[in-house]
Amino acid sequence: MIEFRQVSKTYPGSGSQVVKDLSFEVPEGEICVLVGPSGCGKTTSMRMVNRLIEITEGEILIDGEPNTAMSGTQLRRKIGYAIQQIGLFPHRTIADNIGTVPNLLGWDKGRIKSRVDELLDTVSLSPDEYRDRYPAELSGGQQQRVGVARALAADPPIMLMDEPFGAVDPITREGLQDEFLRIQQDIKKTIVFVTHDIDEAIKMGNKIAILKQGGVLAQYDTPETILAYPNSEFVASFVGTDRILKRLSLVRVGDMRLEPANGEAEDLPRIDGNLSVRDALSEIIGSGSTKGVVERDGEKGLLTIDAIEKLSRARDDLRD
Amino acid sequence: MLLQDLSSIEDPKLIEWDWISDNFWEDIVPAIQGHIFLSFVSVAIALAISLPTGVLVYRYRKAYTPVTFVTGLLYSIPSLALFGILISIPGITIGPTPVIIALVAYSLLILIRNTVAGLDAVPAETIDAARGMGLTDSQILLRVELPLALPVIVAGIRIATVTIIGIATIGAYIAGGGLGKMIFDGINRSFPTMIITGAVLATLLAIIADLALLALERYLRPWARRRA
Repeated sequence: MIEFRQVSKTYPGSGSQVVKDLSFEVPEGEICVLVGPSGCGKTTSMRMVNRLIEITEGEILIDGEPNTAMSGTQLRRKIGYAIQQIGLFPHRTIADNIGTVPNLLGWDKGRIKSRVDELLDTVSLSPDEYRDRYPAELSGGQQQRVGVARALAADPPIMLMDEPFGAVDPITREGLQDEFLRIQQDIKKTIVFVTHDIDEAIKMGNKIAILKQGGVLAQYDTPETILAYPNSEFVASFVGTDRILKRLSLVRVGDMRLEPANGEAEDLPRIDGNLSVRDALSEIIGSGSTKGVVERDGEKGLLTIDAIEKLSRARDDLRD
Repeated sequence: MLLQDLSSIEDPKLIEWDWISDNFWEDIVPAIQGHIFLSFVSVAIALAISLPTGVLVYRYRKAYTPVTFVTGLLYSIPSLALFGILISIPGITIGPTPVIIALVAYSLLILIRNTVAGLDAVPAETIDAARGMGLTDSQILLRVELPLALPVIVAGIRIATVTIIGIATIGAYIAGGGLGKMIFDGINRSFPTMIITGAVLATLLAIIADLALLALERYLRPWARRRA
């Protein structure tokens, strides 16, 4: 668990405060996304966790211990670090790059090698093909995979990720996001994830911390709650006027309570249970109807626009 | 003046091959060795000074202007004048020592500037990632910054070496030895064979050193070689 306690950062000299009185908790095994406009102090906040930037006031606790309990370098070897520009070592092979932290921790060669191969598999790069290559020989997307693998190398319980999928095209980015969420289901790291993209925040975060100018926390909650109940004009405009639709994109049709289909199903549009409710709504409207038929576990159910509208106003966490 | 001397030479033969074969082991080989010694020792000393200075200047930027000013000043002194100044200093007598001091002084600017340029070219994100993974400052310098800067540093060594091999010939004027001695002797004796042999060998030496260091520069950058 990571706990921010009234954390502030003021740069000496300029006297400008970039983070102000920030307090929130990132529970064990969850992804907390820091999001906000540029200059909101999200990257600064993240970098204070591993003390690449030192706190001016307040403290950050990691599993109850202040992060100042050990030296900065010791601390950083225990925390995974992945950044947008990736920063792979151009003069080292992929295997050497991934093995950086295990090497610093003094693992033996055999253990490092098998860990490197395991991680290359995890990020869907064939070890035989990639381990001896240099970073410049890889595409942007492949380099970002290696960046994530390198951050995971010593199996740190905590990871810091600063726009880790930011340097690739949107399609590749979606693929990397999906893949990372799949990996996260197994590894359950406690992650502080920085992005400026609200859609990425909604997709990746168990919790979202929206920061505004001057490093002030505007709202900290689940994506569902933030979308349904933004607590201020700032948050509402930051998440966008399509926030209701964004919220619907968080729910799968298959997870909704459906009405029984009583034989009237024949001329209605068919909807795949794996679609998001947002996409289902689009299909229903597109077919000129007000409902669609969902086939689930061999049974048919009806999804109506009314039900979708109710869902969009529901207070509960939709995903569980 | 030099041209007049050459034109007044009575023997029209520019090269007497007999002289070369007669004096090969006795004069020519020791002159080559002396020249390599002068150049190598000078580059080595210059490098031993420039690498730490370059790293220091890279870390403390304020020192960059004064350091390049002083080394630039040294670089701009005519070599003959510098040799003259050096032997007028008490305790320094003619011979290889003042020549080496002068050659070191000439290489500092190039070597320090290339060291700083090489370190500057290391991508900021690479250093950030290294720090973020828990490398200490000295580990970052030794494992990331210097290896990445090395090709640029070696490029500086190439320029410095070629320059030094050329200037070292003038060092014979104050008894530094090497191929310059053969050239000066040839001029004094109005014997073009010696002048040409010395000049050709000095040029060859420079070309060979240049190519060898170019090969080293390539070798030190396997990641770039593979990409191409």
